Amino acid sequence: MVGQGLDPLWLAQSKYRRRKYQECVDICTENLHRNPYDESFWYLKCRALTAIDWLDDIELLDDTLGDQLLDENAIAQMPRPGTSMNRPATGAVGTAAGGQVRGRTGRPASGFARPSSSALRPGTSLERALGTAAGRRGTTARPVTSSGRFVRLGTASMLDHCGDEFIDSDKIDIRKYAKKPGLARALNDYMLYVDHNPKRALELCSQCTKLSDYRDWWWKERLGKCYFQLGMFRDAEKQFLSSQKNCGTVLATLDLCKVYMKMDQPLKALEAYEKSLKEHKTSVSLLLGMSRCHDSVNNFEEALSLYKRVTQLEPSNVEALACLANDHFYNDQPEIALRFYRRLLQMGVNNAEIWNNVALCCFYSSQYDMTIHCFEKALALAVDEGMADVWYNVGHVAIAIGDIGLAYQAFKIAVSVDASHAESYNNLGVLELKRGSFEQARSNFQVAERLAPELHEPKYNSALIAFDAGDYEESVEMANSALETLPGHEDSSDLLRQLEKVLSLL
Amino acid sequence: MSSKAGTSGHHHHHHEATGGNSWERSYRHVRDNHRIHLEYTNRDFDSCLAHIEEALEQSEGLAEYPLYVKALIRRRQGKIQESLQLFQKATALNPANVSNLKQVGRSLMLLGKFRSSMEVLEEAKRLDPRDWEVWHDEGICNAKARSYEKAVECLERANEIQPHDTTYLALGGVHKAMSKHKRAVQAYSQGLKQSPGNPELLTACGLAYLRIDENYKAFELLLKAISVDPKNPNTILATCSMIQEHADLDTALLKYRVAAVVNPNSSQLWNNVGMCFYGKQKYIASIACLKRALTIDPFDWIVNYNLGLVHLSTGQHASAFHFMSSSINLKPEFPSSYMYLAVILSKLGDVENSRAAYNKALSLKSDYLFELNYAATLYNFDLLEESLAHFRRFEELFRDQPNNAPVEPDVPTQREALARAHGIDIE
Repeated sequence: MVGQGLDPLWLAQSKYRRRKYQECVDICTENLHRNPYDESFWYLKCRALTAIDWLDDIELLDDTLGDQLLDENAIAQMPRPGTSMNRPATGAVGTAAGGQVRGRTGRPASGFARPSSSALRPGTSLERALGTAAGRRGTTARPVTSSGRFVRLGTASMLDHCGDEFIDSDKIDIRKYAKKPGLARALNDYMLYVDHNPKRALELCSQCTKLSDYRDWWWKERLGKCYFQLGMFRDAEKQFLSSQKNCGTVLATLDLCKVYMKMDQPLKALEAYEKSLKEHKTSVSLLLGMSRCHDSVNNFEEALSLYKRVTQLEPSNVEALACLANDHFYNDQPEIALRFYRRLLQMGVNNAEIWNNVALCCFYSSQYDMTIHCFEKALALAVDEGMADVWYNVGHVAIAIGDIGLAYQAFKIAVSVDASHAESYNNLGVLELKRGSFEQARSNFQVAERLAPELHEPKYNSALIAFDAGDYEESVEMANSALETLPGHEDSSDLLRQLEKVLSLL
Repeated sequence: MSSKAGTSGHHHHHHEATGGNSWERSYRHVRDNHRIHLEYTNRDFDSCLAHIEEALEQSEGLAEYPLYVKALIRRRQGKIQESLQLFQKATALNPANVSNLKQVGRSLMLLGKFRSSMEVLEEAKRLDPRDWEVWHDEGICNAKARSYEKAVECLERANEIQPHDTTYLALGGVHKAMSKHKRAVQAYSQGLKQSPGNPELLTACGLAYLRIDENYKAFELLLKAISVDPKNPNTILATCSMIQEHADLDTALLKYRVAAVVNPNSSQLWNNVGMCFYGKQKYIASIACLKRALTIDPFDWIVNYNLGLVHLSTGQHASAFHFMSSSINLKPEFPSSYMYLAVILSKLGDVENSRAAYNKALSLKSDYLFELNYAATLYNFDLLEESLAHFRRFEELFRDQPNNAPVEPDVPTQREALARAHGIDIE
């Protein structure tokens, strides 16, 4: 009754503006049934569908397993210090000792869980306490390649409107649409974000770029995006650079830097950010991108000063605040970290991680009465994986107050919630060892090692146990593999030196 | 080769031909072994292994010495299982060679298979009962398998045959494991007679003296050890803790600095450095060091205990309580912790729990210091009668002290103050 008298196009537009995309799509579909050639409805439906499936791909930098295996953009095996993200520790030599320690123990370098690149594999160590990052373990099945992920998202969204596929991008006449700039843009985004057909999108883009005399920055930017999705990074780089020349947008810079990060050239990305920042002095996204880049090569001091600049420009930027808090916490200033977290809470961020962090800050700044309350709150809010991390931290606090029984229980619960919580297994092993149950400890370390081969602690612990038991072969093997996962681990090298002494006796 | 000689003309001829060859071969075999030996002793393991493979190929794997050296190299590389198999092969080739058997035994020991190792060593003993290494190894096996008496017997036999520093060290270690520190001292001293300059023996002996409270002797030995090996972190730690006890904090700190470079991940080291700063009343530095010690070893009760003390001195009683209670959780049988917990609780104004803590401390050990503090606390909370009773107990215990016993400088002043308050004449 209500909408009967209204112009359906106007209504659809209004729905679109109010972000009621599905309703907008429904209206459009109905009208398109009546008149399949109505361009305004077609346009609106296209936009609405794109909006539903919109993916902020600027933020996504996920290197999946397949990408790593099939990486054709070969990089130097031994990059110069500080030029590559694959061995970020090299860049930290000579910078603050605190930063170096952080990088090595594998604590989360950033206080903000963001879709991150492979180089920044967050959070895994006995000391890991803060910023429990998402996507840490492969509990969910990961797509094999990143284009695979796009496809996966695509199929998932297609389910909603399967049956009547809106546009069949493989059959559409691209040249016809290319002449209509408005429709072409809508169609292009649809192909990129809904249909995930970068090949066809690429054709459309190149047609349109040609038609616009190679002067339109938008089309070039989208062309770069197509190349990026197809994994042709060098071509993408060229397009983004050319788009920047036409019009120095922040968007193109962000895209460009994403390409550089993907090609493992953080220094080049920084250069690009720097250049663009001269034009856009107050762009928060540029500053954030730059500090992430610094983070990824373990250049924490630079990153922090940038986060501070971000907070000056935008005092309620969650990422910057969380990172600053994280840094203060690890630099033994829990009181200041606490103030940042309180600010985040005031801003309405309310999740298990933040209460967990507040609890830890309270604990380390000797406000013991608050600690338990905060942990309770964190547990009430936590879902599975986060819950394990919270219990893990409870275990640490229990160790600090000397309540080994509680610590044991906490780690046990962490393991029961998330059976792949390797750090908890490792700590359980240590506690078992303290109790004197040798075999239990050993099996715990073995489980931890199997679950997280990137941790060095369980390996070192296994080596120690084997050494004490007199099984030197096992000990040598484990100590060596601990050193492999963490080159320069002092205790492992020490153990190996001892072993060598024993073994070289005649 | 000559066994078949001269049976017939034809055979004789044959013999001539192979004889020349075999002479060549055996000569070659000596030359190969010589080269392998040289390369092994020069630690040129890669080319040594290459030559061994060559030699083994020529002899079809039946050359004893190359097998033996290959096994040694494999063991150095940590491949003990493989090394064991090679030694076993060598033994099969020449069962009369004791050194092969000894190495089989040692490899088994390194794999943690003590019982089978001892069986092999028994076998070796039958071949040569006067080999000190066999006895030594058997001693070590017994020690690892925790049959200490047997271990002592074996090690002493080894020393009878031929005294060695390693045997003395092992013997002392076994005594220490049995908590017979006097006998450990004896073992080490005997070893020192043989080689007075061995830093390991010196350190071990010094530490053993510390256990039987002969501090002066211990200090002497540790200083000697440090002059021989100035960078050994354990020696430095032991020596410094003694210097620290004599309140020469600056010297101790200076030496800790050397040790910290070699071993920065030692909880005890940071604990001691922290307490040095505490002695110099630099509380912030002290807390920083102690907290570092705590992150390295979160299960160490004494670090918690010290943190409690430092926080008590800085007047942060709630934190002090927290650390002291952690310390008690980790080591419930240390009486002084309860005394300090009681003091902290009294500062926090909790008389009831403070009294409970004092009582617990006194139930573990009767000490004049506990009584004095108890009396002072009770007096501060106006519980005069009880305070007087505990003060009297204190007087009894304090008077029973031998004259030369060290007394903290605070005790006499507190004693006088309390005596005056209760109107007692102590003299």
